[in-house]
Amino acid sequence: MKKSTIITVLSVAAIVPMLMLVFSIKEAKAVQNEINTTPEIAKLEPRAYEWGKNYPRQYGSYMQTKESSEIRDLLQENPALVIMWAGYGFSKDYNAPRGHFYILEDNINTLRTGAPVDMKTGPMPTACWACKSPDVPRLIDKMGENDFFTGKWARHGNEIVNPVGCADCHDSETMALTVTRDWLKRGLDAEGSRPFAEATHQDMRTLVCAQCHSEYYFKATKWTDSNGDEQVAKVVTFPWSEGTSAEDIEKYYDDRDFVDWTHKLSKTPMLKAQHPGYETFITGVHGQNGLACADCHMPYVREGGVKYSNHKVQSPLEDIANTCLNCHSGTEDEFTSTVERKLERKEELHRTAMSVLAKAHLEAAKAWELGATEEEMAPVLQDIRHGQWRWDYSIAAHGSFFHAPEETLRVLGSAINKGQDARIKLRIVLAKYDAADFEAPDFSTKEKAQVLAGMPYDQLVDEKKAFLDGLKQEWFAEGEEKGIYDPRSREGMELRTSYTE
Amino acid sequence: MKIVATCSVVAALVIFGYLVAESKMLSYLSSEPEVCITCHTMNTHYATWQHSSHRAEATCVDCHLPQDSFTRKMVAKARDGFNHSKAMTFGTYGANLRISDDAASRIQENCIRCHESLVSQMVENAQRYSRTSSHVRGGRMCWDCHRGVPHGVTRNLSATQQNFVHN
Repeated sequence: MKKSTIITVLSVAAIVPMLMLVFSIKEAKAVQNEINTTPEIAKLEPRAYEWGKNYPRQYGSYMQTKESSEIRDLLQENPALVIMWAGYGFSKDYNAPRGHFYILEDNINTLRTGAPVDMKTGPMPTACWACKSPDVPRLIDKMGENDFFTGKWARHGNEIVNPVGCADCHDSETMALTVTRDWLKRGLDAEGSRPFAEATHQDMRTLVCAQCHSEYYFKATKWTDSNGDEQVAKVVTFPWSEGTSAEDIEKYYDDRDFVDWTHKLSKTPMLKAQHPGYETFITGVHGQNGLACADCHMPYVREGGVKYSNHKVQSPLEDIANTCLNCHSGTEDEFTSTVERKLERKEELHRTAMSVLAKAHLEAAKAWELGATEEEMAPVLQDIRHGQWRWDYSIAAHGSFFHAPEETLRVLGSAINKGQDARIKLRIVLAKYDAADFEAPDFSTKEKAQVLAGMPYDQLVDEKKAFLDGLKQEWFAEGEEKGIYDPRSREGMELRTSYTE
Repeated sequence: MKIVATCSVVAALVIFGYLVAESKMLSYLSSEPEVCITCHTMNTHYATWQHSSHRAEATCVDCHLPQDSFTRKMVAKARDGFNHSKAMTFGTYGANLRISDDAASRIQENCIRCHESLVSQMVENAQRYSRTSSHVRGGRMCWDCHRGVPHGVTRNLSATQQNFVHN
């Protein structure tokens, strides 16, 4: 046989199986694509049910966050808080957090957001919606960040009508995790050690939570609207450029002379920590070992023959078998008691810090009353500012005692120290004005403390109730007309607040 | 005839080149777990591993390929690759994949390799006293008891329906 014939035959012999392989690979890829094809969901669709039609397990478990319906009035439990927050919204109303199902309801119902009567009234800026709803990224996409963050809270009342849901964390095209709040990206990049562009899938399972479970403030930002008018937006900003520890953020705020509010009793230029959950989590042993929030708060669970991430975001202690015991040996009882002990340790220092700081505010008020000068009070107020900031930083994200027990106790220790420093200095000032034996008045109940804080509580409640029956109802009705509100997201919702119970 | 021969060689080379690109052939030389989900058949195994504690310590190949010598590793990889291509091409696999005896003993070796300090005495006892005729070190597979490690007992191809894995 000729050489060329042999070569041809051999080539064809190679081509045939290779072609078979090519076809088979094409077919397998088509199957892979089909499996990875997501249903058509509109970009930033705010209604969870529209996603849930295709993801019944995720949706169903997400809706179970409704089970945490109990209202725990933390001001009632710790009346010192009313003194510590005198002159600030938190002294009016502050409850333990409920599940994601209630996130919007509780934001609307709290006395902190006040009782607006139209789009322009009310004490709070639009930024208070920032973490409550998938309508927020939808609106920001539509109107731009600066415009969104301009005006009063009530301005967006008829646009923000769905509780935190699917579109807050998922891309509607790929279902992949996505960060819908750019302020997290800016915060990470400013901090520098973990730039957002380098985030892995495992990082994303934490970062979607960190969009909201972090410390932030409202940064006044000037911009010019389409009419050429100058506006000031209050833009949610993460204060991370100095680092994320209590001291780093304290320095950040001090350098900028940032003040959340001036304390009504002690006249201290105060800071209010939000909930630095991410910042403390990353210092703890679980964060250091590469765990993500979702590993413990959204465990992989089996239902029949199917596995999925449980979207009933909750304490891992509710499901120790599927969370802790994935990595640890031990019994559920052991875990429960270990965690309880951790909580007790935090509570002990937490209670001490609250008592010290509340007394410092009341003693400072007395010093002012007796005629103390600004010069005498300045170092005192600085200590109170720092002490209360540190206390707040360490406990405001309720899980810190577990996420980062060492850091939490360390910062609480320094808060107590700062508070007592202030009180020593105050004793000297009080002595100077013949009040060395002054004792802070009794603030052992929420009611007593609110009287001391000079709060017209009954009036606030009456105004709020009028708002709940009026504007609140209109907002949802208007949302439904616009086709953005789905009543299923509030099915079975009962009005529960600290002031109606 | 020379032209036909040349053309057929060129055609074969072009198709081979296309095949290399389309199959991402070269990626199989790496140890990245994402390579194993080039085809959808491993989606569930990837997802279950990704949600297990083993993800922090061991990738697919750390357990599924021999680790004692480079040659054994590569030979095993080549043989698996051939078998997998065959099964994929002719569609001879089902929704419930079962591990081969050969692959099982490799995994067992790797369990023992990493957890040696914990199980060395167990292995020794088994070798001395166990009357099993099994070819596996220790007689029983680790996962006969540790059934959930690391993929869980539910690992049918349809078990992770809403797990969109992108490699």
